Amino acid sequence: MAILVDHKTNVLVQGITGTEGSRAVKEMLLYGTTVVAGVTPGKGGQKVEKVPVYNSIKEALKKHPEINTTLVAVPPMFVKDAILEAVASRIPLINVLTEKVPVADIAYCFAAAQRMGVRIVGPSSVGIISPGKAKVGAIGAAELVDRVFKAGVVGVISKSGGMTAEISRILTEAGLGQSTAVGIGGEVLLGSDFVDLARLFEADRQTKVIVIFGEVGGPYEELLAEAMTAGEITKPVVALIAGGFSTKLPSGTVLGHAGAIVSAGKGSAESKIRALTKAGARIAKSPEDIPKLVKKMLG
Amino acid sequence: MNLVEFEGKELFKKYGIPVPKGIVVKSSVEKVSFPSPAVVKSQVPVGDRGRKGGILIAKNTKEISSAVTKIWQTSIGGYVPESLLIEELVSSIAERYVSISYDSGMRQPVLAINKQGGSGTARASLTYIDPLEGLQSYLLRQALFASGLKPSRALADIIKSLWNLFQSEHAILAEMNPLFELADGSFVAGDAKVILDDNAVRPEYRPYVQMSGDIAVLASGGGASMINLDALMRAGGRPANYVEYSGNPKSEVVRTLTKKVLSQRGLKGCWVVGGTANFTDIYETLLGFTEGLLSVKPKPKYPIVIRRDGPRQKEAFVMLKQFSEQHDFDIHLFGPEIPMSESAKVMVKLAYKRKKK
Repeated sequence: MAILVDHKTNVLVQGITGTEGSRAVKEMLLYGTTVVAGVTPGKGGQKVEKVPVYNSIKEALKKHPEINTTLVAVPPMFVKDAILEAVASRIPLINVLTEKVPVADIAYCFAAAQRMGVRIVGPSSVGIISPGKAKVGAIGAAELVDRVFKAGVVGVISKSGGMTAEISRILTEAGLGQSTAVGIGGEVLLGSDFVDLARLFEADRQTKVIVIFGEVGGPYEELLAEAMTAGEITKPVVALIAGGFSTKLPSGTVLGHAGAIVSAGKGSAESKIRALTKAGARIAKSPEDIPKLVKKMLG
Repeated sequence: MNLVEFEGKELFKKYGIPVPKGIVVKSSVEKVSFPSPAVVKSQVPVGDRGRKGGILIAKNTKEISSAVTKIWQTSIGGYVPESLLIEELVSSIAERYVSISYDSGMRQPVLAINKQGGSGTARASLTYIDPLEGLQSYLLRQALFASGLKPSRALADIIKSLWNLFQSEHAILAEMNPLFELADGSFVAGDAKVILDDNAVRPEYRPYVQMSGDIAVLASGGGASMINLDALMRAGGRPANYVEYSGNPKSEVVRTLTKKVLSQRGLKGCWVVGGTANFTDIYETLLGFTEGLLSVKPKPKYPIVIRRDGPRQKEAFVMLKQFSEQHDFDIHLFGPEIPMSESAKVMVKLAYKRKKK
């Protein structure tokens, strides 16, 4: 099982001829992911790592109707257009690697995606990996991917790309593999949030425990707590929440990610920890705490 | 990016939203002349200025000048004002609240209206705006009815203007609190709070936050940097600053940042920390650090703890060892063999042990 990506994933890369796009293609192929096509307008007919490049998604789909996932790796100002093209083509999973996408563009694309019933993960998503099956995006460079990620029962959802890998490495070293690890980005608006993905992990037979990495700012961690309390998420949740240090900083200060906004009361790290604890989640004080909490949950 | 009130009001004016007549004073030596009565307002990006001594009402010229002097000297929420706004007093029949922001849960813009000004969004009536449709007139009418306000033309026009501003200026918050209603049915925005979307208006921005402690921090990774400051504080450390430099920074970026961070006064230690980097060239990064270190005057004698992992980490550590012997720095190196949070404890122990000697 696993969620979002697996053996049946057939990837299209939008922005395949760019630096980020071509690096991601190479990495995905090295991991054994099926990358079937790329799009860069005006560069149709070229190849990147033997993957054919098309001018539009329409052209790519004509030759490769099996495409079911797209990685968006175009510069920030072209992201809205790239996502809307993917939405119009009804590609069910749109993973956005690009950082610094304007909030208004995310809101617009999210509304369009919802209308068409397709999913966005990101922007600023480091990627999605189902260890041993496939990966999409920039997650896990080839020289360390097998040391960091192993197949197993833990579903990982993280606002931070670096911490997606760090937490997975700590789990793997403790003998705990992952079903799927997903970087959801740390933006003000998320294409997919903790609740969206926890729902998928809830339905996934391979996943026994969900580990989340959350941060100060925004409502997403509290929303997960609400979904747990409502009985929508029943699998055990272990949470590591960053940003407790910021309580004495002025409200509104932006920290490591655009969505990591110092907040008093709701949205503070303390409030998230309180809500999640009340909903039954176990709170890790540091990344190294996570494996023992997961093992406790597994019984 | 948080705008201060007068910057927000300049945007209001640009979009046709009426604001009180006023002047901006940008220096404490500037001679101020403004008709009384007036209100003198500290231009700091902090909420609730009124209760914190940042807004004073002055009945005559003498009171204006004493209010000006007083506000220049009042720091609010750690901010010393860089400018003041002096405005005419507005006599209103009511104060309303109107804002447009993003609701992260719904991933949509939301219009919040409250019949009573000053109370924020908590009890406001909320109307979500479909980004594919924008704020259509029917939706705005609905919103006004729902809030209990009469949907006058004047009010509708102002909210439409606020929506135009919100979209065109890449705002993530545009707030009028209070919005004065005058006896003739017109409206004037008494305050302006505008936050612009950093992704759109300054994508190169990296956060740098001054804190009051004595351990300088250079942290990598958006999430890891925050988790590491948590770990430092839990270990009993007092961070002097928060900064995050991720991606694959060039050595000169790191050099400049190092100099800035280590030029803080009263430091007892320096902590360079990051998780397992995927693509960051650790050698290049730490080379920049050594260059920055050499440019700091006086020469740092305090302990420096470095915990890094990633491409060319071993090479970087060989270089650092030589460097620290040659230039006599107190550098302690850790790779992936100890967790980041362990290195926080080492940092705290080394930094504060010296103090007691």
